Amino acid sequence: MNLKDFLAGLSDFWSEFRRDKAGLIGLAILVVAILAIIFEPVIVPFKEVNSKWRDINYWEDNSSGAPPAWTNAFSSEKKAVTTSLDRPRKEEIEGDGVSIRRYEFDYSYRYDQPPLDVIFRAEGWGTFPILVSVERPDGQVIDLYQYVAEGLDGDDLRVTLANDSKSAAYQFLAVNASEADMANYDSYSVKPMVIMFSEASPSMATAPVALTGKYKFIVQTMVMSEDVRIDNAHFTVVGSVSGILGSDTGKRDLFSGLLAGLKWALLIGFVTSFISVLLGVLYGIISAYFGGAIDSTMNFIYELFVSMPVLPILIVISAVFKPSIWFIIAALVVFSWTGPVKTVRSMAMQIKEETYIEAARALGAGKWRIIFKHMLPLLIPYSFASMALSVPGAILYEASVSLLGLGDATITTWGQILHDALSSGAVLNGLWWWVVPPGFSIAIMGMSFAFIGSAMDKILHPKLRTR
Amino acid sequence: MSENKNPEVLLKVENLKKHFTPHMGLAASLGKARKVVKAVDGISFDIKKGEIFALIGESGSGKTTTGKLVMKLIEPTSGTMIFDGEDVTSIAKKQLEAYRRKVQMIFQDPYASMNPRFKIRDVLEEPLSIHRIEGDRARHDEMIVKALEEVKITPPEEFMTRFPHMLSGGQRQRVATARTLILNPKMLVADEPVSMIDLSTRAEILHMMKDVQRDLGLTYLYITHDLSTARYFADRIAVMYLGRIVEMGPADMIIDKPLHPYTKALIDAVPEPESGKVDVIKELPISGEIPSPANIPAGCRFHTRCPYATDECKTLPEPELEDIGGGHMHACRRWKEI
Repeated sequence: MNLKDFLAGLSDFWSEFRRDKAGLIGLAILVVAILAIIFEPVIVPFKEVNSKWRDINYWEDNSSGAPPAWTNAFSSEKKAVTTSLDRPRKEEIEGDGVSIRRYEFDYSYRYDQPPLDVIFRAEGWGTFPILVSVERPDGQVIDLYQYVAEGLDGDDLRVTLANDSKSAAYQFLAVNASEADMANYDSYSVKPMVIMFSEASPSMATAPVALTGKYKFIVQTMVMSEDVRIDNAHFTVVGSVSGILGSDTGKRDLFSGLLAGLKWALLIGFVTSFISVLLGVLYGIISAYFGGAIDSTMNFIYELFVSMPVLPILIVISAVFKPSIWFIIAALVVFSWTGPVKTVRSMAMQIKEETYIEAARALGAGKWRIIFKHMLPLLIPYSFASMALSVPGAILYEASVSLLGLGDATITTWGQILHDALSSGAVLNGLWWWVVPPGFSIAIMGMSFAFIGSAMDKILHPKLRTR
Repeated sequence: MSENKNPEVLLKVENLKKHFTPHMGLAASLGKARKVVKAVDGISFDIKKGEIFALIGESGSGKTTTGKLVMKLIEPTSGTMIFDGEDVTSIAKKQLEAYRRKVQMIFQDPYASMNPRFKIRDVLEEPLSIHRIEGDRARHDEMIVKALEEVKITPPEEFMTRFPHMLSGGQRQRVATARTLILNPKMLVADEPVSMIDLSTRAEILHMMKDVQRDLGLTYLYITHDLSTARYFADRIAVMYLGRIVEMGPADMIIDKPLHPYTKALIDAVPEPESGKVDVIKELPISGEIPSPANIPAGCRFHTRCPYATDECKTLPEPELEDIGGGHMHACRRWKEI
């Protein structure tokens, strides 16, 4: 079969396939999923999600248990959205021997509820003083925090303004708010974020009004020697809503996690179904072709595997071996190759009786030639449909094992996100954005393959046609 | 008639039997004895080099099973087969491969005998690759073209890229013949090669097969139920009934002077497209269906349908083939009376 015939066959197949609406929907979902995997490095908000999913430090600047940002659209009081400010304007003011370096970060604030925190972060080398201040839309500049970083060597520089700017905020409040109100406050109970993002007025302590507009966060440092270096300076505005799908109580961005899990879901589905269908089809053909005692023995082994309860065995295996994802895939293959066997066996029995098989034998063709050249090609269409139909099962089994906390701990899968949600009481605490998206993703992925598979089945297996 | 006396004999079959034991469940097999289906029940014949030997019989007479036994697609229960002086009754894999190069088969159904996913080129190349015939693609193409020309498929290059379903029945049977010829066999087993082809093209195919036979000095075992083509095509005819040969001899003798009542009945059953006779439904001297080979009547196995059967025919042991001269043999004890 050359390329031209193959393409012609493919175009025939496509013209039939596109008449099946469900199949098209499934295909569209699959295409979107594959595009999402290809462009994952571009679209994922947290670039290192794959390696740092279980690293608490990586997520410490994110909001904890925050609903998705778009929930603002449904609430009367808009909450600040978690944002990263990482494109500062850099300025160097040269003096004699000493220069002042200045970073300016613009932040446009247009919410009713202030952020939970504003965090400055950078990597530093050497010893230098540092001053963090903010210029508000009303023109007031507050020096929020200053300290001297000493003897850094690529260490993290981290200023959390919600804690570190308490005294500055208290002073700002004391200047503006009424004295009666101030009596209730001290520099510990003050909320710097509320003060920073509210209009300066006598009633700002008791009835703060959000001051919207352009804020400028300014970081200044004095460079006194050659070895002072500051890299990767950026602010994170930690809002109480975050990202496309919110965050979990471990501060992890769920959209990133979901994207990271997508490729594993597809991998598990594809690899498991491909290998197991291939094995099952060969098993069925061999069993049918040889017949007799071989057929009976193979049937017996098949019955053994079919009657084994997959999930309990998988759970035990996973609990004992703490397996990697490849081990889980292998275990899934061991139990799911049985899927196509019976159908293939009956189809192969029919093909075996065809005259052209006998003709091939009369020509001297050996058994393997007959199996691989004459019988297998006829079963390939069925195999493809069968593969598509067995993908959802594989995805679900992995999710089930992961849900029980027995999955591969080095990767991120949807089942594991669900497991974390369950063990953190996400359902009880109403963190629906932690539970619904991964669950939905599993369902949709499974559904898309079921749609594709049944559409292929209808085309390639004309007896099932309802038309 | 043994091979020593006659060096021309290519295939000698002696007392060949094929009994099938049907599969039975355990419970069923406990109760009763297994019924053995005696598809071929002791046949002997010789085929000479360059001869066309026809095997004739109704469906169920065992003629196709005989063909498969000769092709070694199934193993005989007992008996011997000697091909070209070599005992091929039970041979090892290596020799079987060599045997397959010498003996080839044309199947009844030209629509089913080729893999629908193979192009004509692939169909014809398969024997070459199975038997690891030396040569690259171009050399194979040459051989394929030659084989197609032999069977008058022209232009061969054009047909090579087609699929079997794009060909007519006659063309397919030509291709099927070409597939067997490509290995230069000595003998062809043709199992009703024209029975599924339109009447109008039957003669052409038979002509072609005869031409090929003459050109290449082939030997045919021609299996058919059709006496008219057998007479035209074959040198000698053997008539089979229920797993046995009941009459055998030169084609003209068998057709013109049949001795066995079964042969007579078969000849009478051939419709004659002559004016005045077309509408006449002949009264057949025999009636009923061929008995089951699992339950062969005692005595002469034809007695249940024979109009001349006597008590003797039913009780005495089965008559053996008897030569009445000129190579004409029959197995009827009352042949002189009827």
